[in-house]
Amino acid sequence: MSSRDDILARLQAHAITPEKRPEMDFKPLAFDNPVEQFERILKVAGANSLRLEPGQDVNDLIRTAYPEARTIASNLPGITCATVNPDLLDDPRALDGTDVAVIRGEFGVLENGMVWVKQQTRYKALFFISEALVILLDRRALVNNMHEAYARPDFDDFGYGCFIAGPSKTADIEQALVIGAHGARAVTVILE
Amino acid sequence: MSSHAKAAEKFIADRERTAWHDQALYFVREKRDRMAQGVPEWEALREMASRMKRHTISRLGYYLEMFERHATANGVHVHWAKDAEEHNRIVYEIIQKHGGKRLVKSKSMLAEECGLTPYLEARGVEAVESDLGERIMQLMGTPPSHIVLPAIHVKREEVGKVFERELNTELDNSDPTYLTHAARKSLRQNFLHADIAMTGVNFAVASSGAFVVCTNEGNADMGTSFPKVHIAIMGLEKVVPDYDALALYVRLLARSATGQPSTTYTSHYKKPVEGQEMHIVIVDNGRSDILANAAHVNMLKCLRCGSCINTCPVYRRTGGYSYSYFIPGPVGINLGMLKSPEKYAGNLSACTLCHSCSNVCPAKIDLAEQIYRWRQDLDGMHLASKEKKFIDKGLKFVMERPSLFYAAIKAGRTAEHMPRFVLYNRLDAWGIGRELPDFAPETFNALWKKGKVKE
Repeated sequence: MSSRDDILARLQAHAITPEKRPEMDFKPLAFDNPVEQFERILKVAGANSLRLEPGQDVNDLIRTAYPEARTIASNLPGITCATVNPDLLDDPRALDGTDVAVIRGEFGVLENGMVWVKQQTRYKALFFISEALVILLDRRALVNNMHEAYARPDFDDFGYGCFIAGPSKTADIEQALVIGAHGARAVTVILE
Repeated sequence: MSSHAKAAEKFIADRERTAWHDQALYFVREKRDRMAQGVPEWEALREMASRMKRHTISRLGYYLEMFERHATANGVHVHWAKDAEEHNRIVYEIIQKHGGKRLVKSKSMLAEECGLTPYLEARGVEAVESDLGERIMQLMGTPPSHIVLPAIHVKREEVGKVFERELNTELDNSDPTYLTHAARKSLRQNFLHADIAMTGVNFAVASSGAFVVCTNEGNADMGTSFPKVHIAIMGLEKVVPDYDALALYVRLLARSATGQPSTTYTSHYKKPVEGQEMHIVIVDNGRSDILANAAHVNMLKCLRCGSCINTCPVYRRTGGYSYSYFIPGPVGINLGMLKSPEKYAGNLSACTLCHSCSNVCPAKIDLAEQIYRWRQDLDGMHLASKEKKFIDKGLKFVMERPSLFYAAIKAGRTAEHMPRFVLYNRLDAWGIGRELPDFAPETFNALWKKGKVKE
């Protein structure tokens, strides 16, 4: 008997009485002023946020936010401030040393500051290896909580996807919060 | 004395450090409380999460097969391991097939459980821990003392010393930011040049075949971004029915574990990317036996958030190394007993039955109740302490005889006037580190008889 069949047989033999799946009997957290709430919770997660107002150029916003950046990687159309198209690289290791990555988020979650990011570049390394990460997000694409997030009809449409809430952090040394453990040291969400 | 009490002696000898450890953990507990209070439906959420787990474990085989079917269709290789030995062998065979030499891994309690790292290192595969806390412990050559906060017992100066030696950091610089960034720089090279990536699994979604890994550091994602092979390992209780169920746990996990609204990265892996191979190893290693144990089956609901450890007054004051099982605190006491009562019964004493663990558990596991039950079972397993049995027998004899009982109370009052060496000596484990309370001038019984007790 294979280990698979053996394990499944044991689970069958030891099975407990079937329990019905529970129904949701509460109203989950919801917010009245989505954009304001999102800006507030992003700050809690250690992220910056900027609003792109009509007539403004997103490239100016990025340049102003990161004036020192020498390498900006993006494959997004309209990101003319990009110095590298990461999709043209043959090795993701070449992304090491990237100052800013500009990517697109699908939607944001108001209860925790997460932005859902699907793999949209040849290498997902881009999301983590750059010193700073800029996420462009439609400010109308905000959901209240995780229940709404996972209930979006197209949610399962990904190969790799990540909810990102602010910059990489750790408190593994004496519970002291340090920003920039392995991933981006700064995250800016631009609300379009 | 229990094995826990004996081991704890070493830890509590340093009073300052004990107080510091206690505070560090309580700080996390308080952060958790603030998060819970910020979610009005918190208790309903816990209740639903608990019932969803119960539903899932009542159909474990069904959901695991569903997960396997979808993961396979997504192009992921699914393996099954009966025990630690088979798990290690499967992982090694995958590594060998690819000629792997350098493995970079994110934190996984399952790898600890299976003793994977020493197994691989004995076979010439370098396994580098990439979570900062785990890396600190690996460089120090000691195991983690907590399942979520591996280095919670280590002081910054000690980290500084290890990094001086291993990472050539500045002499006597123990600034957490400086040290973290030194580790970032060093581990970056491990990420870039590893040939195999390994992660644990926080949740495996049966309905889609995706699996979820939560980190704050981004080490799991950095780790899986460069090697051609990603091996994910999971205990079979990690399966959840679908995304609606997943929502419950993602809401609860980080809030309960570290007091954050969410982890920084909640990564969803579904399909291998261009040129990459993805493997999942589903591990039993005793879990299917827990299913058959009605009194303790709820342990299969555990999310491994560590909130029961953070809140435990005994853990906070005795540290992770006082427990003989590799998982400390209430969760570890129970899982250790399920693994081997003979080996791990010495941890059962590490509980005051305050029930704080049961009250914070996001899956509402009856942790304290189970510890109580284990204690009742000890005698039947011939593991009860002889000292305690003797005292219990004596107490029973006295309690069943009222006149003897009152005589004993009277006699006990003379204890107040006995010399210290009689009351506090090595023969009486209860007298060590404890002071007798002051006796009330009159017993309740005497007060009652004199009509002095007012309703």
